[in-house]
Amino acid sequence: MNKASGNSQLALAGRLNRLIDFAPVLIALLLALLVASVLLLALNANPLEAYDFMLKGAVGSENATAETLVKATPILFVGIGITIAFRGGMINIGGEGQMIVGALAGVTIALVMGEMRIPPELAKERGAFDVFIVACSLVGGFLAGALYGGLAGFLKAYFDVNEILSTIMLNQIAVQMMNFLLNGILLDPAEAGFNNIPKTARLVTAAQLPRLSLPIGDPHLFDRTRLHWGLIIAIALAVVIYIFLWRTSWGYRIRAVGENQRASSYAGINVRRQMMFSMFLAGGFAGLAGVVQVLGLQYRLQTDGSPAGFTGAAGFNGIVAALFGGLNPLGAIPAAAFFGGLLVGAQKMQRELGVPASLITAVNGLIVVFVVSSEIFIIQRSKRRVSLQETPEGLDEAEETG
Amino acid sequence: MKKILAIGVLFVFVAAGLVSLAQEDVFRIAALMPSATNDLAFSQSMYDALAAIQEELGEEAFEFTVQDSTYIVDDAAVALRDWAASGEFQLVIAHGSQYGPIVEELAAEFTDVSFAWGTRQDTFGMDNVYSYAAASDEGGYFNGVLAAHLTETGVVGLVGPIEVGDGKLYADGFANGVASVDEEIAVNIVFIGSFSDVPLATEAAETHLANGADILTGTAQMVVGPIAVAVANDVLWFGSDASQDELSEDIGVAFQIYKWEVLLLDMISNIKEGLLGGEYYKLTLENGGLVMEYDKDFEISDELMAIADETIAGIVSGDIVPIPDMMEEDSGE
Repeated sequence: MNKASGNSQLALAGRLNRLIDFAPVLIALLLALLVASVLLLALNANPLEAYDFMLKGAVGSENATAETLVKATPILFVGIGITIAFRGGMINIGGEGQMIVGALAGVTIALVMGEMRIPPELAKERGAFDVFIVACSLVGGFLAGALYGGLAGFLKAYFDVNEILSTIMLNQIAVQMMNFLLNGILLDPAEAGFNNIPKTARLVTAAQLPRLSLPIGDPHLFDRTRLHWGLIIAIALAVVIYIFLWRTSWGYRIRAVGENQRASSYAGINVRRQMMFSMFLAGGFAGLAGVVQVLGLQYRLQTDGSPAGFTGAAGFNGIVAALFGGLNPLGAIPAAAFFGGLLVGAQKMQRELGVPASLITAVNGLIVVFVVSSEIFIIQRSKRRVSLQETPEGLDEAEETG
Repeated sequence: MKKILAIGVLFVFVAAGLVSLAQEDVFRIAALMPSATNDLAFSQSMYDALAAIQEELGEEAFEFTVQDSTYIVDDAAVALRDWAASGEFQLVIAHGSQYGPIVEELAAEFTDVSFAWGTRQDTFGMDNVYSYAAASDEGGYFNGVLAAHLTETGVVGLVGPIEVGDGKLYADGFANGVASVDEEIAVNIVFIGSFSDVPLATEAAETHLANGADILTGTAQMVVGPIAVAVANDVLWFGSDASQDELSEDIGVAFQIYKWEVLLLDMISNIKEGLLGGEYYKLTLENGGLVMEYDKDFEISDELMAIADETIAGIVSGDIVPIPDMMEEDSGE
């Protein structure tokens, strides 16, 4: 066997393995839908009809597809951050709190700068877009989230405080801070006095991320939907972070620490710094998710008193998307889209069939549990492949094929 | 053969036309709610109202669909847009003032669809938006008067959600009702900062009891926690939004019930006549939108019943103003 054909055979085997690796995910998805069918049947709902509505709700129309992508956007931001943290050996459960802190910082900057730079008569002017305000808000949101995430990283690196506990606690602090500020200095002046609904004032048009439409057809694709430029920013950053993690020495150090802290330390890597840095970045991306939700979608920060009331639980869904995406920023893109579709489609199912909202939560939960559990089979297969390669036959073959 | 085929085709077209006409006669409402339709509070009151209208008008004339437990504003936007774009509904209800900005945006885009939202006064100056609210301070005042007559310790506790809207109105009305009987009675009010946090509401109720309260009250969907505390400690309970009779066993006294059907029927009538919005509605004891209901298991004395009747009559006539310095603008959950 010559070297070239050996390499192509290896590449083919690699591709085949990746395809086979994906099979458990599909089987898990089908099993989850099967179990969920039992629940649906128990509520006198036709499962086939239910899943048809779910699919239609997720991608059945231009608007449905746009809503799926809108829902996927914060999940993707958080998912990228979670990927960095997990690759650095840190478990970040603080996405919700980091999103809130990022949104608080971003909306404050946007409100203040909007007032400073935009005359009141142009506040609602359509088409106005001030890139400086938006850029400052995004950077501010990123930094606020990063510092908040970095705090948990610092506590872990220097005081060995369990980051799972500290990030969960920091979530609680963030939501109380949000409630306090939205009932206080950030409260919409129009609400103050009699309504006091905890929300900020609406951002001036110039501080809003523009809506996104693609130049396909007439009118343009997604022209009359809520899809915004946050999606493009998230996808671009996923690519950047992929390059960062796998093509730069900084990324290599983070991954090395995540794989083996002791070996990294012997290799001269400052482990503590990498731990903090990975949490800093993870928090930053969650912060971006928060500020993009405000700038691109809601145009104000509003809450019902709970964290999910603002975040839509993207801080937690991002974890699942990151795991589902194989802890790869590029993998997080389809994973986020999948979960976005799942969440939006499930709502459609509830509306059309009149099933209780708790059932929708259960169906979503089942899919997540089954799909994430399928990872075990993929890891087992991967280990088996490695052990096969380490046998004399495997080594001989590897040597032979170069 | 051709003749038979032509008659057949004609028959199919006529039948389809009749079905289509029949479908056009059906009035369809889609409603979005922040909590479960069986929350014994805010969302259930709207669901019950829609069910009552369906019972009154008949299923062939009125249909409704709901999406409940939509406390995430962003999710609400998806549902409301879907309904508005479908063209299947004559009225789309956003039952929660947090949905206001979405309604404002969608109403401008779908001008031929009628929207209703509450509880707030603001119609955004749009011809296709109705707004509604409840004068929950009236029921709050009524409950406060009764509570003041029933307390033995001189301490009553209130568990509220966020200090806004009809929750705040209820609390203020309740406090004023108690004070109208005896200013010495302490009304301890705790707003827990959430509409849905049952454990936190439960803790607040426990704290009230630890501070000597022998009567509890509260609003919003998290009151199932305080009701359970009241039942466990044999403490009297006053409720709002919907009847909590089935949960409060024998400790319930009175409930303020929102009858949204009063305003919805008027909206339906208006929409049928082509008036898609621009009006503000308010439930009051006077217009029958607010109803005070006594717990079936509670034996109310004749003396207290007379006081209760007198209080309702005073509020309806305007002799009693539950919150004298209240601004006209009000809001809700």
